[in-house]
Amino acid sequence: MDILQNTFASFVSLVPVTLAQSLILAFVVLGIMIPFRMLSFPDLTSEGAFPLGGCVCGVLMAAGMSPLAAIAIALLAGFVAGCCTAFIHLRFRIHTLLAGILMMTMLYSINLRIMGRSNLSVFGAPTVFDWAPGLQPGFPASKIVVAGLIALVVFFLLYHFFRTEKGTAVRAVGANPDMAEAQGINVWLATIGGVGLAGAFSAAGGALMVQSQGFADVNMGLGILINGLAALMIGEAIVGKQSVLRQLAAPFVGAIVYYQLVSFCLAAGMPPPDLKLATGLFVLAMLALPSLKRSRGPAPARETVRE
Amino acid sequence: MLEIRSARKVFYKGQADEKVALDGLNLSLATGEFGVVIGSNGAGKSSMLNAISGALVLDSGQIVINGDDVTATPVHKRAMRLARVFQDPMRGTAASMTVAENMLLAELRSNKRTLRRGLNATRLSTYKERLSLLGLGLENRLDTRVELLSGGQRQSLSLIMAVGGQPELLLLDEHTAALDPRTADIVMQATIRAVEALKLTTLMVTHNMQHAVDFGHKVIMLDAGRVRLEIDGKDKVQTTVPDLIGHFSVKTDRMFLAS
Repeated sequence: MDILQNTFASFVSLVPVTLAQSLILAFVVLGIMIPFRMLSFPDLTSEGAFPLGGCVCGVLMAAGMSPLAAIAIALLAGFVAGCCTAFIHLRFRIHTLLAGILMMTMLYSINLRIMGRSNLSVFGAPTVFDWAPGLQPGFPASKIVVAGLIALVVFFLLYHFFRTEKGTAVRAVGANPDMAEAQGINVWLATIGGVGLAGAFSAAGGALMVQSQGFADVNMGLGILINGLAALMIGEAIVGKQSVLRQLAAPFVGAIVYYQLVSFCLAAGMPPPDLKLATGLFVLAMLALPSLKRSRGPAPARETVRE
Repeated sequence: MLEIRSARKVFYKGQADEKVALDGLNLSLATGEFGVVIGSNGAGKSSMLNAISGALVLDSGQIVINGDDVTATPVHKRAMRLARVFQDPMRGTAASMTVAENMLLAELRSNKRTLRRGLNATRLSTYKERLSLLGLGLENRLDTRVELLSGGQRQSLSLIMAVGGQPELLLLDEHTAALDPRTADIVMQATIRAVEALKLTTLMVTHNMQHAVDFGHKVIMLDAGRVRLEIDGKDKVQTTVPDLIGHFSVKTDRMFLAS
């Protein structure tokens, strides 16, 4: 009884911190979802774009740049990284996953070059979280408000975009690239732009994370992809993916629920080193579920992706 | 108007299994003319359509549409001028998107895509009206994902999408071959209605000799990457199915003698 109470108490005390963290990491989940679901382009760039955003933001903040400008430049760097992955795939016909692995490996060196060392403290520098009205800076509440507001704005902008004429065309590229091309859609432009946009979101997540935690580290991207995927799977299981609205809500809902779950597991005494194994098994189970359910019926349709 | 001038394409050039797909092919189709292309497998029918649509880059030769040389134009830019219905109903539509969204994509084929809302009320009612012409009930399923439609419904949708923007050239690639006889008939009738009403310049590939006899102004028979026979005008009207099949068998006998 005592253990249960302790677990619950420590979980509850962590809820606000975890919520702030999950709202920031929701951008990475968004950066994983857009290529994966909207473009059928499974992309691993975020594992490199997330620390890239963090490193760029950290260096610029240390140099005294305003926090918003630092995020903007980090965003741009992530956009370029995403564009490069898409270009490698399209131009050299390299598998999307391999293109992503190449990019994230190369980004590791680039990130080290940008920072000049493996980590950098920017503690005390002004951040966007200081601007939350009426709240004491540095506390979870201000982070929740600022990150939540940005998330809301991004969500509505994307929701509007994917229903415009251009946005519908981008989704068509993911649904059937041959058909999209035959309908006059420039597949290269849509893919490069879309994956670039995803890289920008991952990098923005990294930049916000650095401002939130007060330091940048080249290893901050380690395992972010599998966490993001797990969050996406949870989100899709909760809100579904039948419509643009649901598909876009899934990363946000998923991130919030997933990180609370992780926090609960840790509060319940799960050793942190086991976390990756547990997350991996969870993602595997979610991906395997459709084929397990239909094991008696006809062969299930495989996840169709571009190769 | 469509003109193909001495188009040549060789696959696996210089290798043991070198294959001449198009061997100096010349073809011309006047504006508003409906050409039916026949020929045995491997005669170059698909290569020709791919070369016209831009999916296949020619080794030499030219493709001219309404006086403009489009030989070097990429597929997505050529799409502003031409529409294509594939044999496989899966290829011509976006399965995970709705009927209305597919119609929207087709409508925007020859227009510039903007950042305005795609599916508005005006468009939805236009789509409803156009789909109701088929009589398949698709007009009540605008929000249905295309993957839930039957093959015949998908192919009918592809056809409506293709003829929608009044393309300068319509390419039909055995578009009824994968359908059951009744559905094939519905799709074929809808095709003829649209082509005649809109006076579309059309090139249809078919293995159905009855279709080749019944429809179109001109029959073009391909063999080994070149035009072997063209029947038009009065001769076309008098042509019967056995006549056409006769041309096939002559060819087979020759092949037999040559080997």
